[in-house]
Amino acid sequence: MTADEKAGAVAVSPPGPGLPAGRGARLALTALRGSRRFTAPVAAVAVGVVLVLLLQGNGFTSTLVVDMLVYAIAAMSLDFLGGYAGLISLGQAGFLGVGAYGVAIAEVHFFSPWAAVGIGLGAVLALGLALGIVAVRTKGVSFVIITLAIGQVLWGLAFQWVGLSEGDNGIPLTILPALGPFDLNDPLTLRMTVLVVFAVVALLLVTFVHSPFGLSLRGVRSNETRLAALGYRTGLHRYLAWVIAVFFAGVAGVLYIFVNQLISPAAMAFSQDGLLVIMVVLGGLGSIWGPALGAVVIVLFQQELSIYLSRWQTLMGLTMIAVVLFSPGGLWGLVRAAGRRRDALIARLEAGQARRGAS
Amino acid sequence: MQQFVAQTLNGLTLAGIIFLVSSGFTLVFGVMRVTNLSHGAVYLLGGYIGYSVITATHNFFYGLVAGALAMGVFGLLLERTLITWLGGREMSELLATLGLIYVIDDISLAIWGGSPLTINLPGLLGRSTTLPISGIVYPNDRIFILGVSVVIAVGLYYLLRRTRVGAIVRAGVDDREMVSALGINVRLVFTLVFTLGALLAGFAGVLGGTVLGVYTGGDGDILLFALAVVIIGGLGSFEGAIVGSLIIGLIQNYGTAYFPAVAYSILFIPVIVILLVKPEGLLGKVTR
Repeated sequence: MTADEKAGAVAVSPPGPGLPAGRGARLALTALRGSRRFTAPVAAVAVGVVLVLLLQGNGFTSTLVVDMLVYAIAAMSLDFLGGYAGLISLGQAGFLGVGAYGVAIAEVHFFSPWAAVGIGLGAVLALGLALGIVAVRTKGVSFVIITLAIGQVLWGLAFQWVGLSEGDNGIPLTILPALGPFDLNDPLTLRMTVLVVFAVVALLLVTFVHSPFGLSLRGVRSNETRLAALGYRTGLHRYLAWVIAVFFAGVAGVLYIFVNQLISPAAMAFSQDGLLVIMVVLGGLGSIWGPALGAVVIVLFQQELSIYLSRWQTLMGLTMIAVVLFSPGGLWGLVRAAGRRRDALIARLEAGQARRGAS
Repeated sequence: MQQFVAQTLNGLTLAGIIFLVSSGFTLVFGVMRVTNLSHGAVYLLGGYIGYSVITATHNFFYGLVAGALAMGVFGLLLERTLITWLGGREMSELLATLGLIYVIDDISLAIWGGSPLTINLPGLLGRSTTLPISGIVYPNDRIFILGVSVVIAVGLYYLLRRTRVGAIVRAGVDDREMVSALGINVRLVFTLVFTLGALLAGFAGVLGGTVLGVYTGGDGDILLFALAVVIIGGLGSFEGAIVGSLIIGLIQNYGTAYFPAVAYSILFIPVIVILLVKPEGLLGKVTR
């Protein structure tokens, strides 16, 4: 059972006995209802403001935040595939690499920076369309294995095909796209652009998830036979989800090379594929925002905690195991649980009010 | 021609090591439906432990036994704790063992450091032999590895095909519920298969450490070979693991020798072809 289905199950269960009504209860009810209505938009605005402020500086913090945002895009794309289509991919870092290498290789061959972006995204889209035919024939564990294989082929090409990819050294990128006053070579403009792209990708994915397509996608995941019997083209659903996820991983890759100005095979290694999956599971599979949170935590682990704790990978691995064992909903699951407790409390208070009104 | 023969022998040696790792992986999947992504990390840890024991005792065979036994015990504990706690949820098992990779790798890095280690074979096994007819001078350690792999393959085949335990394991691959319904202690069979798989991986780690080395990231390489093998041969099929190992071992070696730019990537061409043409694998029975 997924976090979503659990949430549904709890919502329909009786909320418990009604609470006594009174002045205090009325006040509490108003406050809780306000919280239900305003928490999400207020939190969104607050996070946005904090991000914009953090990205102003030129120091370590802004670099860290930009890294988090780039990985968050990749993690959210993976969550769209894993959490909603039920297809967990262990090759997503490979497509991040394709986007980044596409840009870098195109610039090496004297394409203009904007054309290079087009080539990078075009390459990742073409590859996603082609490989999807193979990949979505499988499900579950087999899908994990085949995507792992695909990711490793891509890594192998980046590592061994030195003539194209410069091998282990990677390819540097010196000139970023510019259009009049909008110049990505300016660090602040670049950081703000990453933030905007992050927001757009997140909102697009949330829109997809809540669209009829997203709903039938979840149906395909839960009970493919039934959806197929209802006339849904289940294979096509999985294929589209795959292409969307691969494309956004490529978008993350383009931003990756803009930010780091270098792409090397290390960014596509198996450990990176695993790291993206850990971000998604730690944040909460099937919640879009959770994996973004997971990316924040893992990048913090990687870049901050590693300064104080040399065995941070052990801690990360153990955390992953603990989440799988004890909290399958991940961090976002905790947020959802708090929301459910609040809704249950509101229901109990409302029940109390209704009883008093009746008597 | 001589080079081709030598490359073929190298490929067969690699196939032997890959077989030792993938046979355990495929049996564990076949019987328990557990995808143990940390199987490669177990291989590497076995190699490291073998290396330390060999350094301390100056005896290769103590190291080989120590690496195998240590990983057997590790497998036993892993099956009795984490795998049991997860209660057969396939994706959870896969994700938890993915987390375990980072733990094992990180601890190995802390103990043995990041530089590659090599295990040397003693005495005659460390030298070379001139092969008859072709006149190729070929290292004895590779011949030894090939021989040991063949012996173990034959032993496993006998175990699976000619003994009661093997019959139960094969029945478990075909229909786990039925085996359980017949009053056979499936839990015990699970523990046995998982332990055996880990033991073989640890054994392969020490053996492979001689020609491939023991190095950070070696776990990922061998895991991918094993995964390619089980896709080609069929998840859960022992015979498939033999055929798949031969295919992957040979392709990897010819690729490295003749097409170095794409050596790693062409490894996965048979994987893709199999998935398109025969998704259950060459000898697979498990429907996916």
